[in-house]
Amino acid sequence: MSAQPRVPLQVYEPFRAGLPPLRKYWKSLWSRRTFIAEYSRSELREQHFDSLFGQLWLVLNPLMLSAVYFLLIVIIGGSGGSLRYGHLTASLFLFYLVSNSLTGGVKSVTAGQRLILNTAFPRIMLPVSATVIAFIKFIPTLLVFIVMRTVLGLPFGWAMLWAFPVILIALIFSLGAAILISTINVYFRDIASFLPYMIRTLLYLSPILYEASALKPQLRTLEHFNPLFTILESWSLSIVHAQPPHLSSMLQGLAWALGIFLVGTYFFLSREREFAVRL
Amino acid sequence: MSSLSVSNSHSKSNEVAVSVQHLGLTYTTAIDRRPTLKARVKSLGRGTKQTRTVHALNDVNLDIAYGQVLGVIGTNGAGKSSLMRVIAGILPPTKGRVEVFGSVSTLLALGVGFNPAMSGRANVHLGGLAAGMSRKEIEYHFDEIAEFAELGDAIDAPMRTYSSGMYARLAFSVAATVQPDILIVDEALSTGDAAFKEKSFNKIKELRSEDRALILVSHAMATLKEICNDVAWLHKGALVQRGNPSVVVDAYQEFLHLGKSAVIDEDL
Repeated sequence: MSAQPRVPLQVYEPFRAGLPPLRKYWKSLWSRRTFIAEYSRSELREQHFDSLFGQLWLVLNPLMLSAVYFLLIVIIGGSGGSLRYGHLTASLFLFYLVSNSLTGGVKSVTAGQRLILNTAFPRIMLPVSATVIAFIKFIPTLLVFIVMRTVLGLPFGWAMLWAFPVILIALIFSLGAAILISTINVYFRDIASFLPYMIRTLLYLSPILYEASALKPQLRTLEHFNPLFTILESWSLSIVHAQPPHLSSMLQGLAWALGIFLVGTYFFLSREREFAVRL
Repeated sequence: MSSLSVSNSHSKSNEVAVSVQHLGLTYTTAIDRRPTLKARVKSLGRGTKQTRTVHALNDVNLDIAYGQVLGVIGTNGAGKSSLMRVIAGILPPTKGRVEVFGSVSTLLALGVGFNPAMSGRANVHLGGLAAGMSRKEIEYHFDEIAEFAELGDAIDAPMRTYSSGMYARLAFSVAATVQPDILIVDEALSTGDAAFKEKSFNKIKELRSEDRALILVSHAMATLKEICNDVAWLHKGALVQRGNPSVVVDAYQEFLHLGKSAVIDEDL
């Protein structure tokens, strides 16, 4: 041993239940931010979204979906209109951000098994990367919608800028949901198989195929149980109608997003040290 | 693990690299390989046990100094891999304390790789970044890694198309090329064909240095005797004996009631 006492680079001690030292965790997460960028890039490359047709598919998929749903609405409800179509498309685009984040996130930890068993790193990087990928996929659809609403002749206005805080809230929600579901999937591997049903249910419970304002008053209670309800309502008001969203809706959406994020992160961080033996 | 340090000017010889103090590791693991909600619901109220408790390590004390090449031996389930994972920071200990004085590179049983659908190149990058290396460091070592692994063009093919030998070669080159302060190699010397075995054996010899600590987990007794200057024998999670390689290896082989034979010398 050397004369002067040396400070160990790493000390591993038993952990009590609960969170790891957050400051240290954050530091080690931040120092690995290039991993998140690289992971997203190679994942997108693998799904061929780095090519022109891959990107086109990204936009085409929700666009065709919105066309199909529009057809459905016109046939069943008998009403159409450019506003209706704009609402449907914009809402689907934002919904896809959340659903892509969930489907990418659910298996992020279990798929990273080899890496987890071989390397020490903040495991939360895996679901975070899933959300980053979902967000990268979201950006081109946003641009397409801006073009589309111009063609449809929807009103423009400053209130459209409210869309940015709404996107932020939706991102926090997506991140929290991805983190939460990736943890659950470690303990119950079949959650991934239930996920499509959950997403479909969420789609119908959210104001996407219909406008929030068109909902019967007794069904308005939906909004208290569906985290996405107020987020999508504010989204449609701002980016489709160019109107400022209700403050209460924004706050309720933010509260849901932060709630899910905090619960998910707490759950993940307090469990992640156990992942290596669970995989 | 922080970024890999450049070798310091002063020799670190005989300084402690890893200090394992009263280490205990107990964990519960799921009995099902794939725990599912469906299985859980179906066994509800029947009181079936879902988890099993494993006592992997029990009061292990082990100091490893720089300049040391420590071989770790023991039967299957002795806790060798668990010990390596605790030192690497992958599993948290349940008791005791582990201090690590330097950067660690690991080559554990599963090998390199993150996503089999991605190319070897992407996997090396992702693995390196996750381990805390910078993009520049990986870029700097990449050619060396690819060349040592002898993969040729296959480096850009998805890893699921690799043979197990190719997997092992890439894994070994990644761990061996990054020049860590502490290198942990778990049962990887016995993979690959004869030529690569020889090559990796020589690489390990080359990596022996005064300011590096090597920990090798292996069943190849002859290799350990030749390469190590210290051997630790684990049995059922406890340290049985530690010291001169030939003494400890002989004691271990005697314990197994096996005579000397070529098969045992090679692999056990």
